[in-house]
Amino acid sequence: MIDFTFTEEQELFRQAAREFAETKVAPKVPEMEETGEVNDDVVKALAEAEMMAITIPKEYGGLGLGYVARLIALEEIARVSVATAMTLQIFALGIEPIIRFGTEEQKKKYLPGLATGERLATVAVTEPTGGSDPKSGRTSYKKDGDNYIINGRKCFITNSHIADTITVLARDEEEPDVFSTFIVEKGMEGFRPGHKEHKVGMRGCNTGELIFENCRVPRANLLGPEGKGMRVAMTAISEVGRGGMVGCALGLQAACLEASVKFANERILYGKPISKLQTIQNKLAEMKIDLEAGRLLGYRAAALQDQGLRASNEFAVAKYFTTEAAHKAAKMAVDIHGGYGCMEEYAVSRYWRDAAVLGPSAGTSDIMKVIIARWVLS
Amino acid sequence: MLDIVVCVKAVPDPKEADKIRIDPVTKTLTRADVPLVLNPLDKHAMEAALQLKERFDAHIAVLSMGPPEAGKIVRECLALGADQGVLLCDRAFAGADAYATAYTLAKGIEKIGPYDVVFCGMASSDGSTEWVGPELATFLGVPVVTRVKEMVEFGEGWWKVKASLEDGYRLVRVKLPAVLTVTRELNTPRTLSFSGIIKARKKEIREWGVSDLGVPSDLVGLKGSPTIVSSMTTRESKREVEIIGGTREEKAERLVQRLVEAGVI
Amino acid sequence: MENTPGPVWVIAEQIDGRILTVSLQLIGQARKLAYELGASVEVVLLGDELDEHPQQLFAAGADRVYLGSDPRLAFYQPELYTEIIVKLAQERQPEMVLIGSTDVGRELAPLVAARLETGLTAHCIDLALGENGILEQIVPAYGGLISIICPEKRPQMATVARGVFPTPELDESRAGEVILLDVPDELPRRVQTLEIVREEPEGVPLESAPIVVAGGAGVGDLEGWRQIAELAKVLNGALGCTRPAVDEGWAGMETMIGQSGKMVSPELYIGVGLSGEQQHMVGIVGAKVMVAINNDPHAPIFEQVDYGIIDDCREFVPVLIDKIREYQAM
Repeated sequence: MIDFTFTEEQELFRQAAREFAETKVAPKVPEMEETGEVNDDVVKALAEAEMMAITIPKEYGGLGLGYVARLIALEEIARVSVATAMTLQIFALGIEPIIRFGTEEQKKKYLPGLATGERLATVAVTEPTGGSDPKSGRTSYKKDGDNYIINGRKCFITNSHIADTITVLARDEEEPDVFSTFIVEKGMEGFRPGHKEHKVGMRGCNTGELIFENCRVPRANLLGPEGKGMRVAMTAISEVGRGGMVGCALGLQAACLEASVKFANERILYGKPISKLQTIQNKLAEMKIDLEAGRLLGYRAAALQDQGLRASNEFAVAKYFTTEAAHKAAKMAVDIHGGYGCMEEYAVSRYWRDAAVLGPSAGTSDIMKVIIARWVLS
Repeated sequence: MLDIVVCVKAVPDPKEADKIRIDPVTKTLTRADVPLVLNPLDKHAMEAALQLKERFDAHIAVLSMGPPEAGKIVRECLALGADQGVLLCDRAFAGADAYATAYTLAKGIEKIGPYDVVFCGMASSDGSTEWVGPELATFLGVPVVTRVKEMVEFGEGWWKVKASLEDGYRLVRVKLPAVLTVTRELNTPRTLSFSGIIKARKKEIREWGVSDLGVPSDLVGLKGSPTIVSSMTTRESKREVEIIGGTREEKAERLVQRLVEAGVI
Repeated sequence: MENTPGPVWVIAEQIDGRILTVSLQLIGQARKLAYELGASVEVVLLGDELDEHPQQLFAAGADRVYLGSDPRLAFYQPELYTEIIVKLAQERQPEMVLIGSTDVGRELAPLVAARLETGLTAHCIDLALGENGILEQIVPAYGGLISIICPEKRPQMATVARGVFPTPELDESRAGEVILLDVPDELPRRVQTLEIVREEPEGVPLESAPIVVAGGAGVGDLEGWRQIAELAKVLNGALGCTRPAVDEGWAGMETMIGQSGKMVSPELYIGVGLSGEQQHMVGIVGAKVMVAINNDPHAPIFEQVDYGIIDDCREFVPVLIDKIREYQAM
């Protein structure tokens, strides 16, 4: 029989994450909205609160709490700031390939620092030639003695300018269908962040370009077997990447519902609060339905992951559902707020913009459907 | 090493507590699903204990009298850094007023063992009498200082503290063991950490009922309470309100007029 | 043959030789209760250099005063005060004991009650005699009122805040008996008050202000708070608040009006941006005129006031201030 309740410990994790989000992140939101820049204090606070350590095994300095705990933390943080949740989720995405495919030396070298937040991670796959079509990437590598030389550009990379431990997907210069992944570190010769993006939503999360110009990477930084790079990158993205988007979306859905309920109870039209009107109640009910469903999909997939089972398809379903639901919830929230919904002082206008950035991250909704169809037809 | 006991209470979440109301028809309390949380002032009591632990090394026992759901706030205190937890849980304890509560807690503390100091929040957000700390001290036979807002000096077997007065403070020297009740001003409580929650897994919460305390059941709970609620009513207002209408300017003018007519300005 | 009920006691309090108003108010109420019961009113007063003070207590309605006047009692000393009162109560068997809900009272009352193994009620907003002469202690709770009784244990004890009961007319012609109390020689001195430091409060004290403006969460922010402070100032009134305003940091606990704060009995009360929650409203006793300014027409406060303004306080208050100034200039 399936137990759908959270344990007492999981409720405590949620409380800790909520307290963290409300005391350490919420006060920084106006500044992040204004500058669009990731906030150093927030990143430091995330590290102090051990947020980056959640998925890292204990033997490498992490908390070893698993992916349900991770989803709880992301949900609570996203409720306050989707940008911060996104920043955190991508740290975990960058950590995952090292946990799954790293050698013992690599794990010992990188994971402890990633757990404390001394090191910050990300994954670089997307290029101007395609993210939905990762094989179209042109970034390439060639062997040069004991090193690899990487050339190319990655775009739309979250944490581009703050990450110092980056898993980069590149194709063999000679063999177009052969991909490998490498851990590139900030400061390595020939590697630099380039253009910074200015996003309409998720402001406070750093997105940008990474440039590799004859970037020299030692052999020891090859991550996973040579030629198996696509598997390394996609394993991480398909579970941790998608799972992270679920966390961002669920938090945003919850925030939209809370703001809508508060406003509907306070806004008086026709002599009574608009929460008495059926048309408003319909919207609230829809938001609630989507939130309940989204939570079940997300936590089910995360629970599979915690059991060591593959959950990429379940996460595809959850990612599609929750990011689309967040979009709908944000629109309904804005509608409920009427004119106020378009004003910057009202958080729902930010939710609307944040929802827009959820879709294309970690695989678009259309790609999710392709994957789900493949699952059905297999 | 200091032996500290922190008494904590699970209360209806103050943010939602006003959903619990007296029904004007039945004159009983309406049922409302308000979750139980750690009494806000008890967080300050916990923080006081934790700071002492960091400074002097201490063992912290956290004690609560409450229903089974109150176990989660004891676990929360363990996650914050307390070493052991005790939940006094028994139907016989229900319906206790401050006197019976203090008596039961005192018995619990005596069973836990020797202590140097007992910390309590100055009052709970429900009930809010401020009586439990002093009555607890009386049952334990130790001195009490209420409304501690600052710890001034730590001597050998005695402390100096500032007890808050509405317009100032009392500087008090108190011999240990003692009961101290604390105010918000004393400290800023730390928040839960994931590591703390993980460490709490290994910490024990013991549950004691009336027979574990070895006390007669007519000294605890409703039976042991000298005071009881004899009736509940809703308040009726004797005023008939006039909602003043018009434009903003008009409303302000009319209000001033009314107040002048009433002779109050 | 009926037993004469024991006396009705008031534990009076003095600060720097001044008897607190709440003590006089409780003596006034004790007088009423004692009259109905057929009992006498006895007052306990502890401190130093208090030889002249019993007269004021008799004038307020005491029949007998137990006076502990000694340098050792100059400051409130918990163990000493408790011991003296407990021993006396065990001797005199009062029927009920009333104590002002002051900083001292709220520590002393439970210490005494626990020693006497009896009940004690906090936050009383009324005291009345019910069936069989049992004291009904009325306390606000859950949006209404609950009546608490101490059916068996004696004395029945209650703390009451200043302003709940009116200050009695002092009848200087009244006289009574003074009993001098001894200070016990040997006492455990485990807790000692070394020093008392008090700051001068600013502005018009709330409890005695004829006009009170109170702000709540709806005031919004410090800028809004500044506006209502301006309103209080232009009316020459005192500024009070609700708990949410204290939590937001706009005002201090000492200006909080309500169940756990101050009681006020102004001629004019104006509640701005507060919903009228009971914990606050019970702090307003016998106001002549009450006004509410709030955005939400369903706020409970609109059922408890004489005049209501449904408007955004941030927009309305400045306009109101202007109109008041206009009137004052006339």
